[in-house]
Amino acid sequence: MRRYSAFAIAREAARYHQGWERAWASPEPKKSYDAIIVGAGGHGLATAFYLGKNFGITNVAVIEKGWLGGGNTGRNTTIIRSNYLQDASAAIYEKARGLYETMSQDLNYNVMFSPRGVIMLAQTHHEVRGYQRTAHANALQGVKTEFISPARVKEIVPIINLDGPRYPVLGGLWQARGGTARHDAVAWGYARACSDMGMDIIQKTEVTGVRKENGAVVGVETSRGFIGTKKLGIVVAGHSGVLADMAGFRLPIESVALQALVSEPIKPCMDCVVMANTVHGYMSQSDKGEMVIGGGADGYNNYTQRGSFHHIEETVRALVETFPMISRLKQLRQWGGIVDMTGDRSPILSKTPVEGVFINCGWGTGGFKAIPGSGWGFAELMARGYSPLTAEFGLNRFKEGRFIDESVAAGVAH
Amino acid sequence: MAEFDLAIIGAGPAGMAAAVTADKAGLRVALLDEQPRPGGQIYRNVSQASADRVRVLGADYALGRGLTTALAESGVQHIHGAVVWAIEDGFRLSYTANGTAAQVSARRVLIATGALERPLPIPGWTLPGVMTAGAAQILLKGSGIVPRQAVLAGSGPLIYLVAAQMVRAGVPPLALVETQSTRDMIGALRHMPGALRGWRGLAKGLGLIRELRRAGVKRFTGADRLKVEGMDRAEALCFRAGGEDHRIACETVLLHHGVVPNTQVARSIGVSHRWSSAQQTFTPVLDAWGGTDRPGLFIAGDGAGISGAMVAEIAGRLAALKLAEEAGHLGISERDRRAAPLLRARARELAIRPFLDAAYPPYPGALRPDDDTLICRCEEVTAGEIRQTATLGCLGPNQAKSFTRAGMGPCQGRYCGLTVTAILSQTTGQSPDETGYYRIRPPLKPVTLAELAAMAETGATNPEGE
Ligand SMILES: Cc1cc2nc3c(=O)[nH]c(=O)nc-3n(C[C@H](O)[C@H](O)[C@H](O)COP(=O)(O)OP(=O)(O)OC[C@H]3O[C@@H](n4cnc5c(N)ncnc54)[C@H](O)[C@@H]3O)c2cc1C
Ligand SMILES: Cc1cc2nc3c(=O)[nH]c(=O)nc-3n(C[C@H](O)[C@H](O)[C@H](O)COP(=O)(O)OP(=O)(O)OC[C@H]3O[C@@H](n4cnc5c(N)ncnc54)[C@H](O)[C@@H]3O)c2cc1C
Repeated sequence: MRRYSAFAIAREAARYHQGWERAWASPEPKKSYDAIIVGAGGHGLATAFYLGKNFGITNVAVIEKGWLGGGNTGRNTTIIRSNYLQDASAAIYEKARGLYETMSQDLNYNVMFSPRGVIMLAQTHHEVRGYQRTAHANALQGVKTEFISPARVKEIVPIINLDGPRYPVLGGLWQARGGTARHDAVAWGYARACSDMGMDIIQKTEVTGVRKENGAVVGVETSRGFIGTKKLGIVVAGHSGVLADMAGFRLPIESVALQALVSEPIKPCMDCVVMANTVHGYMSQSDKGEMVIGGGADGYNNYTQRGSFHHIEETVRALVETFPMISRLKQLRQWGGIVDMTGDRSPILSKTPVEGVFINCGWGTGGFKAIPGSGWGFAELMARGYSPLTAEFGLNRFKEGRFIDESVAAGVAH
Repeated sequence: MAEFDLAIIGAGPAGMAAAVTADKAGLRVALLDEQPRPGGQIYRNVSQASADRVRVLGADYALGRGLTTALAESGVQHIHGAVVWAIEDGFRLSYTANGTAAQVSARRVLIATGALERPLPIPGWTLPGVMTAGAAQILLKGSGIVPRQAVLAGSGPLIYLVAAQMVRAGVPPLALVETQSTRDMIGALRHMPGALRGWRGLAKGLGLIRELRRAGVKRFTGADRLKVEGMDRAEALCFRAGGEDHRIACETVLLHHGVVPNTQVARSIGVSHRWSSAQQTFTPVLDAWGGTDRPGLFIAGDGAGISGAMVAEIAGRLAALKLAEEAGHLGISERDRRAAPLLRARARELAIRPFLDAAYPPYPGALRPDDDTLICRCEEVTAGEIRQTATLGCLGPNQAKSFTRAGMGPCQGRYCGLTVTAILSQTTGQSPDETGYYRIRPPLKPVTLAELAAMAETGATNPEGE
């Protein structure tokens, strides 16, 4: 594969960009592979990438029922941060954040990582205490965050209204090296690198069954026939329950809808990410100038009959108070994704009751930021049977009561 | 939130006829339309038009009065000036009227949102001074404005009508540059027996062409290589016809090559669509009454496939009869008794369609635009960039969107959707059905955050409007 470089851009500019080759191949599936990953989202592709890069396992297929990056990886609001409360979480999210810093160079693909800083607004006294506690925990974990005053919040976000009648700003948890990246590019960059290592990314092919012999996996049934493997990584986010069912085990996961919306583009007015967790509004400005706004997850038992717009409305009502200037902006599009939530709001990266089958899921509303760290750890788990990054995230924790509880301090969408 | 037995989106012939029929059958009906007055495209503003304007627009236009009068005398709640921007299961419609967002709920919904003009991407089509023939007609119907020094280019019966209306308004177009060829016409002849059954439509068309000849409007046919020239604005239309290059200096270029169903609302709620090769567009999959694959959701009029105003009106009535029967207001035998003459009339009106579709195909040059031609006007994406995404491994429009931003601007793909699907399917060799179409999401038209934020309050009360 040809490297992307300034020279390549100059060369292609001179011939009207006709010479760019396909970034990844669309091969026919082989009979069998050393490892198969189901799901070409960010997590699946990153896993394949580190299987090859860190462990030299390159006879790998990534099987995707739609197109690569077309799942939640392509529809999230791309917030990257690592200010979690528990040690195990901070470790994997901070590993991921660190890998984002050099991802464009590592993949030779511009993923537009923009460490513009992330503020979590404290808008109740409870939140002030909670974020101060997180800041202390982060200090012990070696994650750089600080609790800042309202005046400092205003300095960083001049368009904010500090003293809204319902939702005043009492301070904020600031992570200066948090930020955003281009979601599609993360998937494309990994896909290109995987394809370059000789891996097969097989799109428009659905996994429909898991074949086992004597309690161990021997391959998968797909819409294009049987493909053999002794190592299967299931990385399908919202569809994890379905795949687990095919393999014959159960997952403690609930699926809920999470939404986002985008406005018309305007001139740059906010150069960091603002998260208003109390009201479930998460806002940043895209490179094109649109305000990208994430909402909260739909409630589990929603009998209100107000349907999906209910949540967006509530989010927007509160955000308009905190950012009065956005009220006249036009909303262009609203969309959602089905996310996979666990009881303790932490992911599952684990062996399963079926030998050779591994599962990576439960990232819920916030897995984009974790993609490289998750891929790193999960590849290690699949290659070696153990990874320090994933050790705490096993399925057994639910049986044994060793929860990694992020539901209170970081029960935050995005 | 106001509740109805039936909510109808669109007050054109299909929507108005359905509303009146359903109202008579005893249903509580809400009719929502973004225009200030009922009429839709063809009968736009007809209830207010002066005698002079009716003379310019013709006898067919005046026919609309029957429908608008029946609507005014009915018990239908017509919520006008209401842009419907979301439809959710159940059904719940969100709309904005007078700068305020509100909702209505209804057990059944009829989509009667009509047609959109097929975009005609040629070099220079984004210059000021270029617009569609339909837009010119909207100016004429709505405000009595006629463009000067205009050339009409493209294909389809509507071009003759707009040209004739301009002639009657005293501002004839400089020329008609038609892209259909003699070959198309010969190919269409095999549909002639059908067309003769619809002789009234045929006679009307011939009458228009005669009217134009008498007024001395120049006509070119079989035109190719259309291109608008100009620096800051349109200065001339260039093309090739009859083996010669032509350049007509002008101030306005009016482009048109047919209309296509407006499928936004139906797509946003997941109605299945299929490619129609006869009409070169996607149409919703419907039963004989206009029912979709979602219970309680119907489509009538040009939104179901292009067949013109008379068929739209009939289809509206048919859908209303079926809806009234489903709601328990009409027995099955009574429904069928009333439907029989409508079905016969529809067959008669549809007879001429295959001929028209074959005789006036879309301009091939706009279905396969040059690499340099802009396709997505909002995000300024060219045909070449779309082709490139296919070469880079992209399979459909939703993926091409992530690559190029095509379809992500204010119009959300209403204007580039069909072209992007066409280009991708030509490049990858997949059929249009395999290639697919943009995923349509709310809001169907942009809505301000303030409107959205204020909706909870207004949504609970009765909608404004009468
Ligand atoms: C609106 C929204 C906003 C969000 N905002 C943020 C944010 O700001 N920050 C953040 O960190 N996270 C955010 N998230 C969460 C984040 O998007 C997800 O956690 C993450 O993208 C999950 O990646 P994935 O690779 O596991 O899943 P996906 O990208 O969904 O990939 C799974 C893939 O598996 C495929 N698949 C499923 N079943 C099969 C099958 N049977 N055979 C073959 N393939 C199959 C799917 O087609 C899909 O492509 C947000 C999510 C949503 C919905
Ligand atoms: C620009 C244009 C000009 C035309 N002129 C003529 C002509 O002069 N003579 C002729 O015979 N045929 C003409 N046609 C074709 C003619 O419009 C149709 O055959 C006929 O009007 C179809 O009727 P309908 O009821 O299906 O839809 P329409 O008459 O198009 O009515 C649809 C209505 O729905 C409304 N609507 C659409 N989306 C929404 C929404 N989201 N919220 C609220 N309201 C919405 C529209 O504003 C419109 O009022 C024209 C078509 C177009 C596109």
